[in-house]
Amino acid sequence: MRRVLAIVPWIVANPGRHTSEVAARFGLNEAELLNDLSVVFMVGLPPYSPDALVDVQIDDDGRVSINLADFFSRPLRLTPAQGLALVAASDALLSVPGMDSDGALAKAIGKLSDALGVDDVNPVDVHLGNAEAEHLNLLRSAVADGYDIEIDYYSFGRDVKTRRRISPWRVFADSGSWYVHAWCTLAEGERIFRLDRIEALEVLDSSATTVVEVGDGPPSTFNPQDQTPVITLELDAEAAWVAETYPCESVTSLDEGATQVTLAVTAMPWLERLLVRLGPHGRVVSEGSFDGAEDLSARTAARILSRYEAS
Amino acid sequence: MSVNKLERLLNLTAVLLDTRRLLTAEELRQKVEGYPPPGPAFHRAFERDKDDLRVLGIPLTVEKVPTTDPPIDGYRIDPDQYYLPDPGLEPDELAALHLASLTVRLEGLEDREALWKLGGVDPASHLDVGPANPSPAAPESSGVVASLPTDPALTPLFEAITRRRTVLFTHKGQERRLDPWRLDFQRGRWYVSGFDHLRQDERNFRLDRIDGTVTVTDEASDSRPSQPRTQPLQAWEIGSEAPTKAKLWIDSTRVESAARHLGPTVSRVGNDDGSAVFEIEVVNFQAFRTFVLGFLDRAEVLEPPQWRSAIVDWLAAIADGTFAGPDDVSSGVTTDG
Repeated sequence: MRRVLAIVPWIVANPGRHTSEVAARFGLNEAELLNDLSVVFMVGLPPYSPDALVDVQIDDDGRVSINLADFFSRPLRLTPAQGLALVAASDALLSVPGMDSDGALAKAIGKLSDALGVDDVNPVDVHLGNAEAEHLNLLRSAVADGYDIEIDYYSFGRDVKTRRRISPWRVFADSGSWYVHAWCTLAEGERIFRLDRIEALEVLDSSATTVVEVGDGPPSTFNPQDQTPVITLELDAEAAWVAETYPCESVTSLDEGATQVTLAVTAMPWLERLLVRLGPHGRVVSEGSFDGAEDLSARTAARILSRYEAS
Repeated sequence: MSVNKLERLLNLTAVLLDTRRLLTAEELRQKVEGYPPPGPAFHRAFERDKDDLRVLGIPLTVEKVPTTDPPIDGYRIDPDQYYLPDPGLEPDELAALHLASLTVRLEGLEDREALWKLGGVDPASHLDVGPANPSPAAPESSGVVASLPTDPALTPLFEAITRRRTVLFTHKGQERRLDPWRLDFQRGRWYVSGFDHLRQDERNFRLDRIDGTVTVTDEASDSRPSQPRTQPLQAWEIGSEAPTKAKLWIDSTRVESAARHLGPTVSRVGNDDGSAVFEIEVVNFQAFRTFVLGFLDRAEVLEPPQWRSAIVDWLAAIADGTFAGPDDVSSGVTTDG
């Protein structure tokens, strides 16, 4: 029904197109299209005499036209959910660094917003993440051509810079950042790199040696290994965001909105940051397999303080 | 849906669109082919058809037929509410929308039917819209480039924006009345901004902090944003404190990544050793503190003095283990973020 209500107005407005073209336009095969049209033959207004029925004509060459369907001459309005899906997806694509902000997509969003009744502001603004257009372009073409690249990468968790050669498979945006999923020759394994932490990038003139099947959709960006040390924290209600933000191995509710969480710790600076940000709202209750966490927050705070005292 | 049922629904829609006056159920039974004779079977079939039309998004008007006593329900479809105004999309614009729906997925929202309504996609149209353009050479790279989470509040808020209606919802236990202007997706979360009747000012709300459902009222919202926003919001720009300019020093190793994060509009003064001082406007000190502490000992708040000492006190309390309790550290400000 949804499809018929969309196809009929298009044929009314574009008479004489070939059935194969109409079918392709709506993602159907020709048999499915003819099946849809055969229903329309029987539709009309009372008394359903031939002159009151929708008149579908398909000539010998397979060109189709529809008459006497004034009531279906325009498609049905978009529902709010449909308008949202299309506008948000379009705005997201438009936010990709390097996109032409005056191009066809931008014009389409403007016209669509008008048709939806929004005239003075852009109703949806999607920001997929920070990335330099040049890096994004180079990465996408390296993926397409199967080239390796060399990157200077700042590893936020470990707070170190490294140079590494990677074979990129896929570039994607997830949860507000751009990532490249790649084989890393330095780590000798699959790694995911954040584009805004790639400080320099060079496409190497050799094709990637590793071919890996890539699944549909973004992979999870955090994959703790079995041997990763874990730590247990007690958090008050103010610090509930920790459990929402980081993948926890376990979360136990305590009184007054407090929780006890067990987290995998992949790198020391990551834990240092978390602890000084939490301040009084979180404390280490068990350092588990993680050595030296007991007074880590005090030591980290003292280290930052020495910066303030020096100046 | 069976062919007979599909035919009947199409005929029902055609009759309701064509009529200028309200039609009763009995009139519709006589006019539309395929209904059972009067009685409970017809009643059930007619009720199901009405539900089906609503699910399809067809705006069915139900009003009492004038001059009937006792009053009888009459039905029609207002063509102005039914027909999609022609957006006048050029083939390349329609193709660009199609590309967007292929490359960006909104979890749980379907946009294929929306593209049908806009006229489907010309299979011959050639797309070239920039870096996100799928490459025929690497089909695996042409798939979804981004997948956006959705929130139950999104669709009603979008409807309220397009229809210019005030919405009601509960946020952190408080009833809010908002004229929504726009939806923003940043750092993996959805926000709505608009005119907040409680605060009588512009406010932003995180959608996942809304409790329960969003109600779209029939009240017209006539407020408008004072100025359109061009940059995405940072966490410290979402709050209700008085705007304060902060000066933040960043060491040479992190200057470039800080600059990328802060965006081109934030002023920056470089030093000879490669470090730099950024000037940042803040309305949420807690969020700013979290940002600053992320640099560990590679950043330092220089101004204003009260924030510099607040950070020093915070760190000293952690270093000495002397926090008295949450009251000791509360910034005394509530945020709407």
